[in-house]
Amino acid sequence: MEQGTYEFEPHTSEVQVHVEGTDLGALFEEAGYALAEVMLGEEPPEPPPSMEEEDVTLDAADTEALLVDWLNELISRTDLRKRVYTHLTVDEIDERKLHARIRGFTPDVLKTAVKAATFHGVDIREHEDRFLATVVLDV
Amino acid sequence: MEPSAEVQPPVTPRLRQVGPALYELDRSFREDMLVPARIVADEELLRQMARDRSIAQLVNVTTLPGIQDFAIGMPDMHEGYGFPVGGVAGTLLPDGVISPGGIGFDINCGVRLLSTGLLHDDVKDLIPELAHDLARSVPTGFGRHGRLALGPAQVDRVLTEGVPYVVRELRMGLEEDLRHIESGGYLPGAEAAYVSVRARERGHDQLGTLGGGNHFIEVQRVDRILDAEAAADFGLFEGEVTVLIHTGSRGLGHQVCTDAVREMDRALSRAGIRLVDRQLACAPFSSPEGQAYYASMCAAANFAWSNRQVLTHRVREVFGRRLGAEVQPRIVYDVAHNIAKVETYGGRRLCVHRKGATRAFGPGNPELPEAWRKVGQPVFIPGSMGTSSFVLAGRSESQSVSFSSACHGAGRQMSRAAAKREVVGAELRKALNARGIVVECPSNAELAEEAPTAYKDVERVVDAVDTAGIARKVARLVPVAVLKG
Repeated sequence: MEQGTYEFEPHTSEVQVHVEGTDLGALFEEAGYALAEVMLGEEPPEPPPSMEEEDVTLDAADTEALLVDWLNELISRTDLRKRVYTHLTVDEIDERKLHARIRGFTPDVLKTAVKAATFHGVDIREHEDRFLATVVLDV
Repeated sequence: MEPSAEVQPPVTPRLRQVGPALYELDRSFREDMLVPARIVADEELLRQMARDRSIAQLVNVTTLPGIQDFAIGMPDMHEGYGFPVGGVAGTLLPDGVISPGGIGFDINCGVRLLSTGLLHDDVKDLIPELAHDLARSVPTGFGRHGRLALGPAQVDRVLTEGVPYVVRELRMGLEEDLRHIESGGYLPGAEAAYVSVRARERGHDQLGTLGGGNHFIEVQRVDRILDAEAAADFGLFEGEVTVLIHTGSRGLGHQVCTDAVREMDRALSRAGIRLVDRQLACAPFSSPEGQAYYASMCAAANFAWSNRQVLTHRVREVFGRRLGAEVQPRIVYDVAHNIAKVETYGGRRLCVHRKGATRAFGPGNPELPEAWRKVGQPVFIPGSMGTSSFVLAGRSESQSVSFSSACHGAGRQMSRAAAKREVVGAELRKALNARGIVVECPSNAELAEEAPTAYKDVERVVDAVDTAGIARKVARLVPVAVLKG
């Protein structure tokens, strides 16, 4: 079974993303890939193998806040380190905590600078065999 | 599929006209409303708003604890997150709330207009070179730092002292600039200690950078004077070259908002409070969380004004190199779009949130520079590439109509994806060039997303502002060169 997917939904001024994953970890990874695609304007490529790996550890009030924190962590690291993160491995996750390893690369141009992930309408739910999430990115 | 009227709550039939270009949705619309929702618009603009979720978002704003009188949407209002873009609300101090979502991630995103004193006819052959030089002087691409990298102590001084520090210590600007920037280019409530280390790290090399999205520097020609006396007061004349700078607090401000929303959301969760929209996370202004956010927001606002000041310095360098050192573009004014200000209305001290809205003080307001006190505050309403921008002057009536607020632009009416589907960037570039507009933008796709057709009719938006009595039209500007991030 495919681990996860994402698609962009209509929004007048921002970017709204709908994400699906077979489990919470896959859901969060897909949300990160969607963010990378917004930034790059195309599907994320594999990063060069030489790019160093970074650790991310987060804790939040609940799962929705954890998703917003996760995306905001990727956004602020992109701004700081001039990298788009295109290889994401969520090793541990529960309702409020996450540990992940991420790798990125420095593209020549960034198509869209993402300011932040928002709490507006953020929603995560389990449906049959999948986790579904919606989140709005401020661009 | 674009959002359509069919899937939205049927709010427009419930809107009642309460004044010229002013509509109201009363409290009976939803039981959690504390005040009515008002909208400055004409019928066509209302129809456009009803196609997205902006009116519902404005209704959500009316539920904020401590909100006074009404929440009001400007004629460029469109769907955002938390507040709609173009939303204004005042909460009663000391215990009414401050909401980072009512200000936005790009704290003090705003516009600054420079007048050059040059006639377009005299310099039009130089416009391509000027635009090219501006593109070389202003970093816009990913990973390109500003030419000014600050040490930690300097970042702290920018955060606490704003433009006066940039002018007097970094020597980027003129003393008279300080008299032509909203709030003198700094908010005294700023405290750098409340700005996180990460936010400061993100900001240290970003002064003097434009950023992407709808941020731009536009060289313009004054196409038409609509109020001769006010235009003369502002120093604008027909055929003059002007420069409009639109940008904000960059990554520093985004991080300040991210940090604050997270903290306030956590505090609300601990207290077991669920808001109608989590992005409206807020805290009483007088609470520790509210005071910490206000201090950091003021600091980020100072950073944004300083950013536009450094960009002004770059513009002056470019014009000076090409046209002679005596050419020193002058600041007409600089207004914030995304900010909260403490202001007094009817004897009440309010925290006025403006998200995608500008202040529009009328004549005589003591906060205005002395030179503009007779005519009222300059208000700038940028169009989109290829369409006109407007200079207006604030009216005293704005105080009761809109908490002294006007709109901030034309307002998007089409999603970026839809604009990209409908507009071919390369063709748009050619079309703009054919109209004599020089375009400096590295990406055709981004150009398409910001196409004029993605925005509402700026003339209609400005007419609504004028009709509602918020501000009167002074001059129309048309683009001759556009530099985009």
